[in-house]
Amino acid sequence: MSVASDSPVHSSSSDDLAAFLETELDSDSDSSSQSFPIEEAADDDDAEVTNHRLLFYLYLQALEFKCVIRSLNRVSQSSFRLKRRKLEHLETEDVASVKFIEEVSEASSSKLPCQHPGTFGNMCIVCGQRVEEEETGLSFTYIHKGIKFHQDEVTRMRDIDMKMLQSQRKLCLVLDLDHTLLNSTILRDLTPEEEYLKSRTHSLQDVSGGDLFMLEFMHMMTKLRPFVHSFLKEASKMFVLYIYTMGDRPYARQMAKLLDPKGEYFGERIISRDDGTVRHQKSLDVVLGQEKAVLILDDTENAWPSHKDNLIVIERYHFFASSCKQFDHRYQSLSQLKSDESEPDGALATVLKVLKQTHSLFFEEGGEDLSSRDVRSLLKQVRKEILKGCKVVFSRVFPTTSRSEDHPLWRVAEGLGATCATEVDASVTHVVAMEVGTEKVRWAIREKKFVVHRGWIDAANYLWKKQPEENFGLEQLKKQGTEEGEEEEKQ
Amino acid sequence: MFFHIVLERNMQLHPRFFGRNLRENLVSKLMKDVEGTCSGRHGFVVAITGIESVGKGLIRDGTAFVTFPVKYQCVVFRPFKGEILEAVVTLVNKMGFFAEAGPVQIFVSKHLIPDDMEFQAGDMPNYTTSDGSVKIQKECEVRLKIIGTRVDATEIFCVGTIKDDFLGVINDPAAAA
Ligand SMILES: [Zn+2]
Repeated sequence: MSVASDSPVHSSSSDDLAAFLETELDSDSDSSSQSFPIEEAADDDDAEVTNHRLLFYLYLQALEFKCVIRSLNRVSQSSFRLKRRKLEHLETEDVASVKFIEEVSEASSSKLPCQHPGTFGNMCIVCGQRVEEEETGLSFTYIHKGIKFHQDEVTRMRDIDMKMLQSQRKLCLVLDLDHTLLNSTILRDLTPEEEYLKSRTHSLQDVSGGDLFMLEFMHMMTKLRPFVHSFLKEASKMFVLYIYTMGDRPYARQMAKLLDPKGEYFGERIISRDDGTVRHQKSLDVVLGQEKAVLILDDTENAWPSHKDNLIVIERYHFFASSCKQFDHRYQSLSQLKSDESEPDGALATVLKVLKQTHSLFFEEGGEDLSSRDVRSLLKQVRKEILKGCKVVFSRVFPTTSRSEDHPLWRVAEGLGATCATEVDASVTHVVAMEVGTEKVRWAIREKKFVVHRGWIDAANYLWKKQPEENFGLEQLKKQGTEEGEEEEKQ
Repeated sequence: MFFHIVLERNMQLHPRFFGRNLRENLVSKLMKDVEGTCSGRHGFVVAITGIESVGKGLIRDGTAFVTFPVKYQCVVFRPFKGEILEAVVTLVNKMGFFAEAGPVQIFVSKHLIPDDMEFQAGDMPNYTTSDGSVKIQKECEVRLKIIGTRVDATEIFCVGTIKDDFLGVINDPAAAA
């Protein structure tokens, strides 16, 4: 090995390098034994009898590799001299060689202290230094194991992203899986009436076009919601799509394969409960979109405590009997009825319309300047279209002790774009009552106005669509006892 | 970097493996136990190349197992800071790209990709120069420099850069020109 004469530091490097390697190796084994105590505690662990021999090898190899670095890097003569000067200076100290090596690898970086914007395996992604665990920032495990970014860096990435997305006229859409895009059941929870499903499952070899799948290796059966394929295709033209589920990672990936066999919609953007930052909650922390450009579709409002304004709550999709049971519903499941949601008029089709409206408000109205646009206010605007033109009077719905304007139902109705009033007049279109025989109800019947119970407003709010008044008459209320039963029977 | 070194390990063997094939059994167990594992000190054990010696067995009290100290030669792989590695790109996104060199996972941040390479989203996300002559995407081979390493029990993490001369795509003919 004739590298010595070729090396810029041949004169004094040998001892230093050996020292460096020792330091380097020691520090590494120390830290790894901290993070993996089991390794060292193993019963029959390695005993390094050949330290000296190893070091000798390392030393020889290191000389060779330094030569490689030099030939590959084409270090300019000036920076070379600079480094050499530094080396000479440092050689007076004990740790000279360690510093020298660091100098080589950081020769091209600037002199400002590194902000450590992110880490990979707890090493800074810019300078390579170790960063303390608690200073490493947000974990993006759904992108890759071991990668973390600091809040500032996340904000910076979101800002850059926003510009790129706007040029493509896209927003972000975060999609829940269970009860939103699909319904899964454990195989052993299938009822005898559902046995027929087993003969109707679609091949896993080519999932495209299928909507019922038996995943024997996961002991599960999964039914995709009607319209989901069209929904994803259309939505992906307007939105960058994310999956965000409380299921674990293998489940999330498997469901993504069923929904998106070619991987064209979700890419790596599949966030499972293993990737979340808060237990039992969902958050936009790890979603790389600015909050004003992210919509969420989920059946569970409580999962998103800090992002209610971004959220479109969708009617739960219960296909399997076990799913109904889990939510304490007494009625028969779609599978038991051998029925399903409507493809053209189901919940996903309705939501797609809402998404289209919001998207077009964001990009098409109000001029070129998009910086002040916010999906949260636009979503409110879209919601206001639902009962637009309706003037609602409430009859004995609210307790007399509080102001009607403060009642949640009053605010929901206003949110849906209805005008609310306390007294009847010719412009009133609907009287909302809970019992027949009130003065306002009698007036409404006389004046041929609609009389509905409060479920009419709740349903419009939930289904993003004005509901036919005849399904919400007071006689229905009496007949069926509860709203819940009434709601579901419609399906 | 690869090293050919000698390590020692205390192997525990059940008496049913004793007899004529004792040595063979020891070696195959050693291979199973050691190859493909990592240690912070030596890196990733690629392959065992030979047995230097098998010491005297020691019966462990209370169990029938016998412990043999085995010295073996093996090839280990351990990346070093400053080392130049060739790796295959596995994932490209707006944060940078991930690459693999055997058991080593390397991340090259966008900060350490030359400024003239821009991220292009789409089905096949990539970093491309403005003239389109160089493209980094999944599956392509890159030459990169390691700026930090961490070796865990089963994995080796590295942070790398391609922001330097002679680094970057190597299997793209346009880049080699
Ligand atoms: Zn740093």
